[in-house]
Amino acid sequence: MKKNNRKTLVAVLVIAVALIALLIATTRSSTQYFLTVSELQSGETDMTGRNVRMSGVVLGDTIVYDPQTLDLTFEVAQIPGDHRVINEMGGMAVVLEKAAADPTLPRITIHYNGVKPDLLKHEAQAIVSGSLDVNGIFQAKELLLKCPSKYESALPSQAGN
Amino acid sequence: MFYLGLISFAASMLVMLIALILTIFQLIKRQTILTKLSITLASVSFGLHTLSILTLMAMQVLQDYSISYVVSVVNSVMPTILKMTAVWGGQAGSLFFWGWTLNLVLFISLHVRRQIQDGWSFLFTALNLLFFGVLSLFAENPFSRVWLTEAGNILEGVFSPAAGATVYGGLSGFGLNPLLRHWGMVIHPPILYLGFALFLVPFSVAISYLIRGETEEGLLGETRLWLLSAWILLTAGIVLGSWWSYDVLGWGGYWAWDPVETASLIPWFTSTGLLHSLLLQKQRKIFQRFNFVLILLTYILIIFSILITRAGLLNSVHAFGESNISLPLTLLTLTLVGVSVALLAWRWRRLYSGWELTSLVTRDAAFLYTNVILISLTIVCFYGLAYPLVTGVLTGTQIGLDRTFFDQAATPLFILLAALMAVCPLSAWSVNAIRQLGKSAVIPLILSIFLTAVSYFLLTKSWLALLVLFVVGFGLLLMLALTLRDFRSPHEAGKRWWGQRARYGAWFVHTGVLLIALGIVGMEALSGSIQGTMIPGDKMPLRSYEVEFVQLTTEYENPEYLTIEAELVLWKDGKAVAKLYPGQHLYENRGQYVSIPDKQSTLRGDFYTLLLDYNSMMGYVTIQASDNPLVNFMWIGALLMVLGAALAASMPWKSLQPGYIDEQEQELPR
Repeated sequence: MKKNNRKTLVAVLVIAVALIALLIATTRSSTQYFLTVSELQSGETDMTGRNVRMSGVVLGDTIVYDPQTLDLTFEVAQIPGDHRVINEMGGMAVVLEKAAADPTLPRITIHYNGVKPDLLKHEAQAIVSGSLDVNGIFQAKELLLKCPSKYESALPSQAGN
Repeated sequence: MFYLGLISFAASMLVMLIALILTIFQLIKRQTILTKLSITLASVSFGLHTLSILTLMAMQVLQDYSISYVVSVVNSVMPTILKMTAVWGGQAGSLFFWGWTLNLVLFISLHVRRQIQDGWSFLFTALNLLFFGVLSLFAENPFSRVWLTEAGNILEGVFSPAAGATVYGGLSGFGLNPLLRHWGMVIHPPILYLGFALFLVPFSVAISYLIRGETEEGLLGETRLWLLSAWILLTAGIVLGSWWSYDVLGWGGYWAWDPVETASLIPWFTSTGLLHSLLLQKQRKIFQRFNFVLILLTYILIIFSILITRAGLLNSVHAFGESNISLPLTLLTLTLVGVSVALLAWRWRRLYSGWELTSLVTRDAAFLYTNVILISLTIVCFYGLAYPLVTGVLTGTQIGLDRTFFDQAATPLFILLAALMAVCPLSAWSVNAIRQLGKSAVIPLILSIFLTAVSYFLLTKSWLALLVLFVVGFGLLLMLALTLRDFRSPHEAGKRWWGQRARYGAWFVHTGVLLIALGIVGMEALSGSIQGTMIPGDKMPLRSYEVEFVQLTTEYENPEYLTIEAELVLWKDGKAVAKLYPGQHLYENRGQYVSIPDKQSTLRGDFYTLLLDYNSMMGYVTIQASDNPLVNFMWIGALLMVLGAALAASMPWKSLQPGYIDEQEQELPR
């Protein structure tokens, strides 16, 4: 009985060590900093070349897309990263609308190579993963879009009618 | 209509509350059997709940725009089926629908032939149900109305938000987000929800067993059908989501390790492990503790998955955005964890069932390895999801893990799992039987090595893809060889087959998983794509295919959007094989478009085309064409998994008595 227990313990330890090793090895290579536009540009720590995930509001006029080469560039403006702040400001739809209209907010140019997503348009929320290059352009490897303004919070935007 | 819907909903919750209080009184009197009255009340509650959801559906179909939820998900030109299913198209509605699903499951559990609810399990089921019902009523009410104040402002609220405000129905509906207008939206959410909800019954029954201190194996037999049906629907729900995502592309391909996708996969891992170790407990009387842990954990992980989806804690394409129900959901998750841990700790000694393996190669050992891998996958995925949340709390900045983490950490585990499934038919309950079976493996082994070598020269040089191809090939051939061996003597072969349908069902499921692996190899290692701009008459080559652009058409076939379509002819080896019409639906009022890919599907794979850009003045288009070989084996595999599990479920638990499978093995013709 004792012997059996010891064997079990050894087996569990071996598996645990293997799993932890797997997790550590993969964590290192895929760590990603979730930042806002201003945090990325603040320069407190130099983020150039680091793996970053960032969210911002798309400025519709800045979208340039070449379907031949699939090169897509556009600018996004700063939106807060904290859910509580967003809620206090009246929800994501309101935040996006205000941020897109405010020229004083920090902005950054995004470059992405790939099919232009259907939802990429003015006031959409873009979530990009990639890194900042030496020219200050964000090279996105992954581009995700959400537009809550037309979906959930339908009412406030109609209130003026 | 509004009053009918709201009152029947509130009444349904009230009646359930009364049933709950009655049950608590019974339990205080140490009466654990559920009274007839409680059952009747619960059924009445379900009836009212159903009436309420039908009312909401009717208001959507009739476009009652005094209800703010209807305004946000319905418009006048959506097809009726989408108007109906918009019940789960938005945050408030889908929470309401989830509550109803739980009530439906409770109703079924009280009225099936083998009613397994007692006072304690009813208590826990009803508490969970009431939790979500109350959230719906007070935090996210789908019956909330639109009000016009005297000052001319439009406000939202169940009851008048200001003096003098009147109900206002003059808004025009926005309609469901165009990306959600797909068959996937009609079937994927309800199937997934039902799969999730069905796990509540085994959870509650397990809690009841723990409280009563009963550790007979009765629990297993009684919940097995529930677990299997839940597992079938969960599997179907996940794969339907993947299929939808592949079919419209807008969600990022068939699998993107999106937090919401990952969160639904985690309970799948634990429940799959549970199905294996349940059989082990039946056969070998071991692993009882482990099974209790898994039953409880699976439901907790489902609630966690709902939390991830609804709380908006992580950026995800599926998430509903910010919401005010994340705190109560977090509290529910923590409470469930607390209750489960406390009960397990209390009964831990009594649950001891010993666990001696007969050998390291027998079937019980294989099951153990399977579960070790499934638990590892659970840990990996949970770690990946929780990492940014934890770093966010600890350091202030969220530091997350990108999808390469999931790809790298999960792939080796998936391959090990596939390898185990491939050799699974070789394992038996006794070492002797394994020696016998080993001889049947020689031919499949040689054949699969040969096939892998052929793939190396013809298909791919990626060693990872080749490894998976070898594992899949061996597994499929082995199952085929053993099936053929079983049927060598035709005498009553069908009857013998039916008598062992639990085993064949499991084989079907395993075949299905291996086929899915084949599809993933196709998508990840063998697919190729090209894009180019063409004028009418141009051809673009891809492998043995050629895509010819014929013309661009623009049509207002739907009142809501403009349809732009490129007419393409697909040529293969110099012969025209199909016409394809990839296009875009342009929703001009929303300033949004949705790409509608078109594909030629064959068993060999898909030829997938996408309209990237067009210029109707100049008449040119930019097309992306992809050749996705083997992809359809994913959907075929999933179908086999579901059918196989259903086949296994049709086997009565009683006939899986210890020794049953051994006897069957001895019956095999040698």
